[in-house]
Amino acid sequence: MSTTQLLFSEKVRRFVKRNGSVVIFLILAIIASIFVKNFFALNNFLTIIKQAAIPIIACLGITLVLMTGGIDLSLGYTLGLCSITVGLLVKGVGLPIWLSIFITLLVGLLVGFINGILVQVVKVPAFIVTLGTGYIIFGIAQIVSSGSDINRLPANFRAIGVTNIFGLNTTVLISLIICVVMYYLLHHSTFGRSLSAFGFNAKAARMSGIKTERLNISVYMICSFLVAIAAILLTIRVNCAQPTMGGGVYTFEVITGAIIGGASLFGGIGTVIGSVFGVLTIKVLENCINLLNVSYYTYQAFQGIVILLAIIFENVKNRRL
Amino acid sequence: MKKTILEMNAITKFIFDEHGQPLRGTTVKILEDVHFDVKEAEVHVLVGENGAGKSTLMKIIGGIIPADEGEMLLDGEVITFAGPRESLAHGIGFIHQELNLCLNLDVAQNIFLGRERQKKLFIDKASMYTEAREMLLRLGFDIDPKTMVRDLSTAQQQIVEIVKVLSYDCRIIIMDEPTASLTKSEIDKLFAIIHDLRRNGISIIYISHRFEELKEIGDRITVLRDGRYIGTVDIEDFDYDKIISMMVGRKLGAMFQSSHQVQDEVVLEVKGLRISRNTEPINLYVRSGEVVGLSGLVGAGRTELGKSIFGSRTYYGGEILYMGEEIGGLHPSNLIEKGVIYLSEDRKLEGLVLDMSLKDNMTMASLKRMYPKTKIDFKREEVVAQESIDKLNIVANSVEQICNTLSGGNQQKVVVAKWLLTNPKLLILDEPTRGIDVNAKSEIYKIIDQLASQGVAILMISSELPEIIGMSDRIYVMKRGAIAAELTDKREFIQEKILSHTL
Amino acid sequence: MKGLKISKKNLLIIAIVVALFIILGSLIPGFLSIKNLLNIVRQSSIIAIVACGMTMVIIIKGIDLSVTGVLSFCAMVNGLLLLKGWPIPLAMLAGLAVGTLMGLFNGLMVEKLGIPAFITTLVVGNVGGGLALLLNAGKSIGGFPAPYVFMGNGTILGVPVSNYIMILFVVVTSILMSKTRLGVYIYAMGGNETVVKQQGISTATINFFVYGFSGFCIAMAGILLSGQLDTVHPTQGEPYQLDAIAACVIGGVSMLGGEGKVYFALIGALIIGVQRNALNLLGIHPFYQNIFVGIIIIVIVALNIHQKRRTIEHSKIF
Repeated sequence: MSTTQLLFSEKVRRFVKRNGSVVIFLILAIIASIFVKNFFALNNFLTIIKQAAIPIIACLGITLVLMTGGIDLSLGYTLGLCSITVGLLVKGVGLPIWLSIFITLLVGLLVGFINGILVQVVKVPAFIVTLGTGYIIFGIAQIVSSGSDINRLPANFRAIGVTNIFGLNTTVLISLIICVVMYYLLHHSTFGRSLSAFGFNAKAARMSGIKTERLNISVYMICSFLVAIAAILLTIRVNCAQPTMGGGVYTFEVITGAIIGGASLFGGIGTVIGSVFGVLTIKVLENCINLLNVSYYTYQAFQGIVILLAIIFENVKNRRL
Repeated sequence: MKKTILEMNAITKFIFDEHGQPLRGTTVKILEDVHFDVKEAEVHVLVGENGAGKSTLMKIIGGIIPADEGEMLLDGEVITFAGPRESLAHGIGFIHQELNLCLNLDVAQNIFLGRERQKKLFIDKASMYTEAREMLLRLGFDIDPKTMVRDLSTAQQQIVEIVKVLSYDCRIIIMDEPTASLTKSEIDKLFAIIHDLRRNGISIIYISHRFEELKEIGDRITVLRDGRYIGTVDIEDFDYDKIISMMVGRKLGAMFQSSHQVQDEVVLEVKGLRISRNTEPINLYVRSGEVVGLSGLVGAGRTELGKSIFGSRTYYGGEILYMGEEIGGLHPSNLIEKGVIYLSEDRKLEGLVLDMSLKDNMTMASLKRMYPKTKIDFKREEVVAQESIDKLNIVANSVEQICNTLSGGNQQKVVVAKWLLTNPKLLILDEPTRGIDVNAKSEIYKIIDQLASQGVAILMISSELPEIIGMSDRIYVMKRGAIAAELTDKREFIQEKILSHTL
Repeated sequence: MKGLKISKKNLLIIAIVVALFIILGSLIPGFLSIKNLLNIVRQSSIIAIVACGMTMVIIIKGIDLSVTGVLSFCAMVNGLLLLKGWPIPLAMLAGLAVGTLMGLFNGLMVEKLGIPAFITTLVVGNVGGGLALLLNAGKSIGGFPAPYVFMGNGTILGVPVSNYIMILFVVVTSILMSKTRLGVYIYAMGGNETVVKQQGISTATINFFVYGFSGFCIAMAGILLSGQLDTVHPTQGEPYQLDAIAACVIGGVSMLGGEGKVYFALIGALIIGVQRNALNLLGIHPFYQNIFVGIIIIVIVALNIHQKRRTIEHSKIF
């Protein structure tokens, strides 16, 4: 009797420790429901989920990268590159939709491959590599698009992201599927286990027979691949392909989500549920700021303070435990 | 009779837990009741096997760690050092084996780091250079104080360190294996300096493994063994065999059992492997069901050899054959699949992922074999881990316990469990019993014997001679990156004999 | 031996610069005119001032990614106060104080919490960027007092005032690094932190100073830029992040820490400035320039790391 109780409390403690962002999210949501007018409404919740769906995809990508102890500062620019790529292919070149999407995803994979090779093989620190490639990618996106946006995308292309199936928006649905896949990958497959081991102790992982070299490169590729998916969905959502879509601000937002979600900056730790609720937390904040009619810019500054608190909190917690 | 300036009595240092707190309850002690003294203007040599406690004793003198019990007297007064700076302020300088210099600064800057000569707001470079130059010249070295330390040879860097220590007006200088990386002519220069220093009334505590050096510079020799003080000998009474017998002479317990039979099949064969550009090629072989001991001093290249075989280090030419197949340069993951494993000497950095659970660590090397479809079967994993816990008598709350919170012995057993789960055919064990208690040791010996009986080939690197002698069917001794001797006759397995090959 | 190596490296940089000028001079009419050259230096001054602080940060194995946000924010604070009628020195002081405080905060996070420099500076930069937008609801400001604009655009004896300020920064930083205790400690910390601690030198002082100084330099650059343009735009700092790092890297400041000279970072800044100016004159779009700078950073850092690894490999002996 007492042992099962103990186990249960232990389980709760572990859940809270691992998924602190769920708790943060719930507390924030309750506070918002009480104090912010119009917050507690089904429609508003659906809006939040819709807004979170796309960043969640990218956030799961950066979560993997953070778990290796690396970082991808080029994320936002990759988003822009993929956005303009898919826009150009679909509307400018007029390729079939499936082919355009396929090529865009390949572009994402290629960016990730280059980042991964530079980090793993050339051994340049990840923040330098991705800072550099970020600017390069941004430049390429601008050149490809000649600096202009592509508006009014074909309806059959947009249908991918804006159709409703069983009352659920396809974008949300795709995001959900990706969450499930990533959950399996991270928490139920040897990939996730290897990734954790690599992030905590690369040497021991390699000497235990984990192909750390391949793993490290693949993580950057998965990240950019997910970013490419996010880019396609976002392009559909705003009905406009822009080279400036994403950018540094987007990178930052996604990293914030992962860190609130408990991903460690030193590698090894990261969860799907954590990151999902990390993004939801930011989106609730954004939503409240909207509802309260405060300037959007408050949100941007506020977000930085939230991430700082998350980092400090994480640090203090780790020292205690 | 020279005056005694430093005296240490009944010094004891316990092993410590992961928080750095001493564990007083155990019988394992790093230092136990050690006596040591230094006289004015003498070179006092400290010898002992790896793990005898020499470095720990020196760290206590150097103020880097405190003693748990016992007292230290400087000029007859009891003294304790809160840190290396305090020890330095009392005239005790410590020259570490790993030199403590900033390679990107010049000689003078290194010597004066932290107490630069000032001229108003700015540092007074001119006077620092002159002073540094004088100090160097006083020792007979014409090194330009403006040279970057990185551009100096190791010996010259050592000289800079000596000058730095001397500039603090040190009366006692601790030198931890200063000749380890020096050439013959550089060693001669160093010895000339040591003679000079002694003439000027400075005492030197000198740690070395090289016996040929001792007679040349030592005045007295103190021997430590297993953390205990064995005795001090005047250099006039120096006798090679006597010192060696003081260093060894441990009783072989009944811990070792041998039930395995060596078979004919050669599992591992290393041909002409060089672990570095300037070392002799290594040849060795291990047969099925054989335990081969690899002895030698720390830094003799044993770990490097092990890692070279296990694809974790670049080596310079040669062949590594496993069951007749070349495996040189393969990734550890391929080697593990083939049945080759390497148990690292560094449990915390290379053996375990300390932040992960027992079960995660145990299955880490067998992920591919256990889950070919990559889906983890948590139930099965738990069962497998629990079996290992029972089999190896691991003391843990559950399979979910984080390895960080386990004791050293249990951590080592987790590593062993990890490797056993891979069904190895060739084990390279690097210090398999380092830092673990007696019970765990004997259990690990039992496992090694059992594995050998099943026909597994074992190459065991160890610094503990009783272990090497007790377990091995054959022994290789390494020295300076090469095999110095191979002992095949069990009657030759005598500590003195092995030790004489390593020195 | 080493002296030779350094001079070889320096010679290479100088040779590249000379070659660059000859090629560009023959390609672009008017490139080598005094006026254009002074203009390049004026444009480079922003990069060079940021690079002064960045050099120090990289020497202690850190990085400052807060340039974009902090630069814009400090300029905005200073600009708004100017428009409110504050005296110029007071407004500037406020801007500089803000930058320094943000830098100090970075130092605090690095020293006390052990948070990687690239994260804390990234976060602080983003907070700064957000605040810059927030302060004036995302709108630009301009129309500053004439003496203020003179600081950015005016000339004394035919040389832009900006250049004097830049030279002041470079010289002061350089003296600090080579002639004071603190400078020696900064290098020492980049070379071997253990030794620094062993000698009883406070790493906190070094971290606080270095990151604080970097914040100060960024703020100064922001203020000077607003003077040059007579405008503060809340995202004005954008290009200077990469350019400042590039200037350091080109100037031979090693990402592995412990090495680098401010004078060479200045040359790096000038090279970046020349590159931007020449490509502009050639009618090449800034997008290409970003790609170019990004590639340069990665390549130089990669070469640097490769070289270091080889020396370690070669120094292995038994």
